[in-house]
Amino acid sequence: MDTWRQLKPLEWCKYVNKEVKVTAHEKQQHHGWVFTVDPVSASIVLVTFQEKGGTPTVRVVTGHAVQEVEVLQEGNEETAGRLRVIFTPPGAHTLGPEEVRHRKESLRLWLEKNRIPVEEKGEMLCVANVLTVSAPYGAEDCSSSNEIILARVQSLVESNPDSTPDQPANS
Amino acid sequence: MSTLVTVLRLPRGPDPNGRGFDPNSPRFVALCPTTISASTETGTDSVEIGEEQRARSALRESFLRTLIAMTNKQVQFHMYERVKVEAKFGASDIDVLNFQVSELQTPIGVQKEALLRCQDVISYSFDL
Repeated sequence: MDTWRQLKPLEWCKYVNKEVKVTAHEKQQHHGWVFTVDPVSASIVLVTFQEKGGTPTVRVVTGHAVQEVEVLQEGNEETAGRLRVIFTPPGAHTLGPEEVRHRKESLRLWLEKNRIPVEEKGEMLCVANVLTVSAPYGAEDCSSSNEIILARVQSLVESNPDSTPDQPANS
Repeated sequence: MSTLVTVLRLPRGPDPNGRGFDPNSPRFVALCPTTISASTETGTDSVEIGEEQRARSALRESFLRTLIAMTNKQVQFHMYERVKVEAKFGASDIDVLNFQVSELQTPIGVQKEALLRCQDVISYSFDL
């Protein structure tokens, strides 16, 4: 009964994106597509898609109650994509690496133009050694322990004329 | 059960150092794992451990997204002894040991705010 919880994360990963039948305590049986397994509590997150295209149902079986997990079907790219999409919060969009690099360059040039000392430290921009900006280099990505500097730099970031991709940079 | 009813307050439960709530009690140690499963240093090399850590982070991130999707939704909890309750999910703690819920519908009334012990829950489900 404890074997499920003793598995390693790489072994749990093998169940992701597969349709399984989970037998739990008190003769409960659930089946669905495995979205993830929580490494802390060993809980299995199962998703069942409705046939008529309604909202999917999510069922989580707590790790300590899992007795047996049987794989019914292997998933493919399509099911993986469907699972990923339903948990992405609305409004989130991913930026490609080119766009992220462009934003970093644009922000760095804008800060230098405003006489703010900025240096690149790997993926982050370090401003005057007290503030760091991480990807995707928006106003919410600034972090600092000094609130005055934070407020100043945030308003600068927001006023960057090159902050939208289709606007030409000011000379 | 749509209107809130006053719930009869049962006598105060055991204090935090009572049976089952004490982190050193045998029940707590048996039911609430203090360590999570991981490969040992001696048996595996660092590349494998790195991969394991990456897998662990990816799995945990997906699980946290599940919890985010669950907030403020009506969740049905199936607990031991064939107890089924419904509540609005609020938050979970880091070890997934307790869930904070609102409007918990119990056979004796609707509890406005409650803390559910995850060890008592077998499964829980909600619609997205």
